[in-house]
Amino acid sequence: MDKTFARRRRRDLITALGLAVIAALVPLFVSDVYVQNIMVLTLMYAALSQSWNILSGYCGQISLGHALYFGLGAYTTALLFTKFGVLPWFGMIAGGLISAGIAMALGYPCFRLRGHYFVIATIVIAETALLLFQNWDWAGAALGIDIPVRHDSWLTFQFTRSKLPYFYFALALAAVAWLVTFWLEDSKWSYWWRAVRDNPEAAESLGVVVFNSKMGAAAVSAFLTAVGGSFYAQFVSYIDPESVMGFQFSLLMALPAVVGGIGTLWGPVLGAVILIPLTELTRSYIGGSGRGVDLIVYGTLIVLISLARPQGLVGLFAPGRKGTAR
Amino acid sequence: MTPLLEIRGVSQRFGGLIANSDISIAVGRGEIVGLIGPNGAGKSTLFNLIAGVAPPTEGSIWFDGEDVTALPAAQRCRRGIARTFQVVKSFETMSVIDNVIVGALARTTIMREARRKAWDVLEFAGLAARAEVPAADLIPSEKRRLEVARALATGPKLLLLDEVLTGLTPIEAQSGVELVRKVRATGVTVLMVEHVMEIVMPLVDRAIVLDLGKVLVEGRPAEIVRHPKVISAYLGDRHAVGA
Repeated sequence: MDKTFARRRRRDLITALGLAVIAALVPLFVSDVYVQNIMVLTLMYAALSQSWNILSGYCGQISLGHALYFGLGAYTTALLFTKFGVLPWFGMIAGGLISAGIAMALGYPCFRLRGHYFVIATIVIAETALLLFQNWDWAGAALGIDIPVRHDSWLTFQFTRSKLPYFYFALALAAVAWLVTFWLEDSKWSYWWRAVRDNPEAAESLGVVVFNSKMGAAAVSAFLTAVGGSFYAQFVSYIDPESVMGFQFSLLMALPAVVGGIGTLWGPVLGAVILIPLTELTRSYIGGSGRGVDLIVYGTLIVLISLARPQGLVGLFAPGRKGTAR
Repeated sequence: MTPLLEIRGVSQRFGGLIANSDISIAVGRGEIVGLIGPNGAGKSTLFNLIAGVAPPTEGSIWFDGEDVTALPAAQRCRRGIARTFQVVKSFETMSVIDNVIVGALARTTIMREARRKAWDVLEFAGLAARAEVPAADLIPSEKRRLEVARALATGPKLLLLDEVLTGLTPIEAQSGVELVRKVRATGVTVLMVEHVMEIVMPLVDRAIVLDLGKVLVEGRPAEIVRHPKVISAYLGDRHAVGA
């Protein structure tokens, strides 16, 4: 009876491995820097959305303030490197830990809020942090931080001549985020989280400590998001508050998961592969003078999907697994 | 031997409303006890106090020789108190088996064990054929069964059933009754709230009648149904005179 579950897990793992190998080979055939750039961003957003999905998809605590953790990751790495000469690899871990800590400190009051009130709190907190960073002189205030470029090296994680190292790191990031989710899916955590999302009162009656479950989800989600932020800082090598902590990042993390399938293993990946190239292409080809067209495309797509397939596009690929609209 | 559950002088007030007033009852190990009474008698309030939804205004609740008055619901579940909900609260987006796994995780955090336990409980509750179906797709009587299965998966000593037999067809209710008997046969004590007397009375060893937040009478079902106070609480004083 239990074989279906094991078979499904194996199939997921093999599919992921296949996709990772294909993705790893793509740069051999694509030398266009612009396209490579889009591929890096797609993988990064796949990882970010996968992280967002842990708290908001599985645990059901919709956050529209994840830009905060993204920005904290970027700033921690950049500040440690420019002020203290700490290598970005350590900055990445430090950023993750700081974000996880802050997520739990914020969760302490915020997880008492439910539904829309929680969402509003996440937006307000992220916007407040944005304002703080814009006025924090030591951290470069609104001007931001220019990360000094020394020479191409894995040690300082800087590459000026080629985008490929960034691509492979982004691929690894997406793979790690996916694997973490994959592992969590067969752990007590994912069961507790989904129970909390579907019915906190029933979950509590079955021995699930709802509050702790949410805290766990927030910590994991924030940690991974911050690692993504650290990567982004290295990738663009210049950060300012608006470019790493702006509200649009919160949306860009949420949308792939929502479009692909919220609270599913494959949703974020699928959503990122569809949305990120789309938004980059519309921005460069239709964009320019007509700014906002990419947003119109986004909006239209989301309306269409929520009408036709509220459970996300991932349902199209698994006809045997019936999803349930929420 | 101490009773499994002992309620000592419990009162619960909601503002000016006294839902439970100085209630003292005990449930022995292996019993099936019915908690009955007309609407508004305070059954659900007492039920929630035992399950740990909120602490009582006064009094204490003892379970298995331990004072659990201050423990929240999740802690009480781990001590061995499991419950169902009057209005079913399935995890709608999760499959039936996953619903039950959540319960099983109260006893083990090893997934393989939790999954095996969940399958066993589904077989026991007669839901194994529906294991992979999303809970949202179950019919009402199956959802009730799922509530019981999920609660049983937590490995309880005491199972609290909140109107699991109400609103079912006679055939469904009969198979529900059989399930409750099966549960007791495995050594689990059952405390059930019902207000349909003809279903509960043949099933329970003992009945406790609540009225206006107080214990009206308690005793064996045969005595209860003929008790003048019970008849007057349910039907009004006029009928009690004749009894």
